[in-house]
Amino acid sequence: MNSRKIINGLFMNATRLAFIFCAVVLVFLFGTIIWKGSAAISIEFLTQPTESFGASGGIVYQITGSILMIITTALITFPIALGTAIYRSEYLKNPRAQNIADTLIFSLNGIPSVIFGIFGLIFFVNILGTGVSWFVGSIILAMMILPTLVLCAYQSINSIPSIYRESALALGMTKWKVITTVLLPKGVNGAITGLLIGIARAIGETAPIMFIATAFSGVQFPSTLLQPVSALPTHILSLAQQATNPAALQNAWGTSLVLVFLVILFSLSGLLVRLRFKKNNI
Amino acid sequence: MSKSTAKIGKSYVLASTIISALIIVLVFIILVANSWQAVTEVGWNLFSLRWNAPSDEFGILSMCFGTAIVTLIALVLAVPLGILTAIFTSEMLPSKLRIPVKSLLELLAGIPSIIYGLIGIAFFAIWLQGFFQLQSGRTILTAGFLLAIMILPTIITLVDDALHNIPKQYHEASLGLGLYKYEIIKNTLLPIAKADIYGAILLAFGRALGETMAVMLVIGSIDKIPSPFFDVLSPGQTITSKLGREIAETSFGSVHFSAMIFMGLLLFSLVLVITLIAQRANKKRIRLYE
Repeated sequence: MNSRKIINGLFMNATRLAFIFCAVVLVFLFGTIIWKGSAAISIEFLTQPTESFGASGGIVYQITGSILMIITTALITFPIALGTAIYRSEYLKNPRAQNIADTLIFSLNGIPSVIFGIFGLIFFVNILGTGVSWFVGSIILAMMILPTLVLCAYQSINSIPSIYRESALALGMTKWKVITTVLLPKGVNGAITGLLIGIARAIGETAPIMFIATAFSGVQFPSTLLQPVSALPTHILSLAQQATNPAALQNAWGTSLVLVFLVILFSLSGLLVRLRFKKNNI
Repeated sequence: MSKSTAKIGKSYVLASTIISALIIVLVFIILVANSWQAVTEVGWNLFSLRWNAPSDEFGILSMCFGTAIVTLIALVLAVPLGILTAIFTSEMLPSKLRIPVKSLLELLAGIPSIIYGLIGIAFFAIWLQGFFQLQSGRTILTAGFLLAIMILPTIITLVDDALHNIPKQYHEASLGLGLYKYEIIKNTLLPIAKADIYGAILLAFGRALGETMAVMLVIGSIDKIPSPFFDVLSPGQTITSKLGREIAETSFGSVHFSAMIFMGLLLFSLVLVITLIAQRANKKRIRLYE
């Protein structure tokens, strides 16, 4: 046995140990969420309104509130992202301007979610005087996931070979016609992929919406744009703060399982959409 | 007709781009404008230790310390563990298993942070309390530990990608020299992947700095630097947990509110700088020979 061999063996075992540790953490996290959550879930839990601050009753208004917010988020962010991606890939040719636009848009991606929350609190709730409202929550979530959509749409538009653009132009199409008939279908596909990934992130966010869009109890389905809703992540927060009450904790696990299920649903559909579009590639 | 549609179309895409680009500028302006009051009225006293809103003392150092130490703990735990695990998944794991394992890790990265927080208070805080015989398990160490677990999937996935993207020739050439696997990894693969690994660490760093919900639930929320300062088994406060807990109860327009926004601005600027450095690092890649 030489020392090189010993060091090699030690190192390889260290990587193996690290991997086993991570695998244990992974199994523990998923196991806990599924195990604890499935004990709380029943038909009543999914279809009843909340009672006594979440300790009993179900989460139907939290589910509808979250879904309502992400649908609105999608409607707001999709057209803006698609437009940005088209402009960035077809009109913006000056490298310096490209660089500035990229930096401004993609820096958004790293901004901590709580910062979006306080921005919304100042700008919408206080300066514009909207009050705590689910619509403002949707706008803030839309701002947050915008870079993801822009990037996905841009990549798929940009991957179309120039020969398609040139052929279409040679047929006498105007530039705008080329965009709508040749580039847009592909861009829409990219933006949908980005949208699903973005929504998987947005639906689980608590910090951006907890000051500006949600109320913790006594909320039903909103009838106007300016009412608060109840959402799944903020519901978990309020239940987690009563962690000494076992019934509340039980419902927190149930809500978590529903939320994780939705997150995984959106991520997987994002993945599937991407794979399908790849298969139908030109 | 078609000319006017084209015109409308072009102004639509231009307007979208302007909106997208101006969001971050607007956020920055709003933060600066609202922290101005604290800067003028509290001035350098912002950088002091005591935070006591009723007596108009707004020292943010305790929160900055909290953010720094929690992030440090998270990185010290997660970076070595993440890199070792990534070496395992990219170099030793059979390639059939690599994709399933990576997909699971990506799902783990997608679990909302509030659920990590729930797991933190239901398990980690109680374990730590029992293990160290503490009065409360909600401590700086608990937050750091939880944060380490949260950033681990990010580090593993990115480092694994970086190692996996190195062309096979490098591997084979090193193998041909009779090197052991450890030597190949240390002398060939890691130096090539270095820039990407730094990028991964920076990304995880930025995420750890801005993490709110999980940290807020487990850190204990006491605006003090523990004494001695390295006593990580006492409760603390980070910038994010302070904002998350207090901002909704602070009246808009007060110095108190403004001082909170000042902390937010600090965090925003720090994360922005890290993101920009990470982006730059991403561009400067060494050329590999295929």
